[in-house]
Amino acid sequence: MEQQLADLTAQLAALQSSSGVTNTNFAEVYYYLTIPLMIIIHAGFLAYEMGASRAKNVLSSGVKNILAFAFIIPTFYFFGWWIYWGFPTGLTFSEGPMGISGAAYANAIAFGWGESAQYMGPNVTDQISGVFFGAFAMFAATTASIMSGAVIERIQTVGFIILAIVLGSFAWVVAAAWGWHADGWLVTQWGVHDFGAAGLVHAVAGFFALGVLMHLGPRIGKFNVDGSANHIAGHNMPLTVVGLMLIIVGFWGFLMACVVPPGEAWSWFADKQATIYGTPITLSALAFNILMGIAGGIIGSWIWTKDPFWMMSGALAGIISVASGLDIYFPALAFIIAMSAGIILKPAATWLESRGIDDAVGAVTVHGTIGLYGVIMLGVFGSGYPALAIENAPVITLYGQIIGAVVFFLLGFVPGWVFALILKKMGMLRVPAAAEEAGLDTVKVPAQGYPEGIVPSGPASS
Amino acid sequence: MFPYDTADWAVVDGPMFMLANTSWPGIFTAIAAVLCVWVLAAGFRSEHEQYAKFEK
Repeated sequence: MEQQLADLTAQLAALQSSSGVTNTNFAEVYYYLTIPLMIIIHAGFLAYEMGASRAKNVLSSGVKNILAFAFIIPTFYFFGWWIYWGFPTGLTFSEGPMGISGAAYANAIAFGWGESAQYMGPNVTDQISGVFFGAFAMFAATTASIMSGAVIERIQTVGFIILAIVLGSFAWVVAAAWGWHADGWLVTQWGVHDFGAAGLVHAVAGFFALGVLMHLGPRIGKFNVDGSANHIAGHNMPLTVVGLMLIIVGFWGFLMACVVPPGEAWSWFADKQATIYGTPITLSALAFNILMGIAGGIIGSWIWTKDPFWMMSGALAGIISVASGLDIYFPALAFIIAMSAGIILKPAATWLESRGIDDAVGAVTVHGTIGLYGVIMLGVFGSGYPALAIENAPVITLYGQIIGAVVFFLLGFVPGWVFALILKKMGMLRVPAAAEEAGLDTVKVPAQGYPEGIVPSGPASS
Repeated sequence: MFPYDTADWAVVDGPMFMLANTSWPGIFTAIAAVLCVWVLAAGFRSEHEQYAKFEK
């Protein structure tokens, strides 16, 4: 009898160990797979903005986008990851109530040197740091890609890369630390909830782009003397539309990476998935609401535009408009909100254009305006939900969501405006007019986008 | 609105979407369905207005 009990105990221990290994590997693979899915976002942005460029600028737009991706990753490694863990409680850098933030904590896990380097490189006992960092680095690169499309055809490459680093490895990271971390002061003090980063990724990036555009100015020929706008068609609308669809494919990885798997030492729950705030969520909730958001956005934008560019932008807007509450919306409500976002999308972009802003791909509206719209809509419908899974948790309120929206706007717009001004003063922002008219591919890319004769290229094209 | 009396995730043991256990989800579903039909009707009208321009 005793021997049988001992055998059963041993078998149980082996089973538990095996289950733990399976769970750990699942959690690691879960985040690992979000990384290539999110790289599809960048494939999409690349196609989207190259298609939206005229033939004479197609490759330079691509170079700019690819370089932003490349520079965000190391700079996010150097200091962006530290900012996320160090900044949640504000500029005091103190430890928050959950004990996973502050300068000391960030120093211990998020620096690529000293003792913390053990968490910033290959380590057989650490199966989470690298994949979690990787997912966040892809969020960071997404912000840069959002800005990238808005400024095509007239921005200097190095100036743009500097702006991309400020946005991707600093501005949005501060927003994430404050509003997308269980210790973030916007969460603990105001109950801000932005599960899918409508505000802290999309709005921050969209309004950063607006700040840049105000100093960069419109493309030559965009506006007439009387202030009326001309449409500057990209050279390949189908490429742009497919690019938009690829972004939507990648969004599934983006939103999947916003979920924390269960059962690990760092998990919020032993038995269920959690949001980054530690509140419960299911992937089924995402499936319901993302799909309804996409559909609502497309249908809403079709009503007025009948234009595939705006319909696919509407799909993005649909997801973004419900991203803050993808964990708790009812699908039909998500559809209605997303449809409203699709309806207001084009008029909002037209209004911005009427103010003299040349946003080549509508990024300020799709990501900025609709991002803030989504943050506030959650305050309208989601008030009363606990923002954290603790006793006496702060709750979501309309007031709190509006505060969050204002903070996200400022965290995007102010750095974009200030750094673009500095670059402008230094002569690093805009390309010379002669180069712009000649076409940036001819000026600075030692390759041709298309074989001679298929698509006109060079100074003669417009 | 949080669908439980106490604003605490510990009490959640079922639906966690907004206004669960009320008639609102059904109302939202009905509104969404009506919107789809309305958009199709408006789209049909718009499409045929475009056809008519080319038939004249």
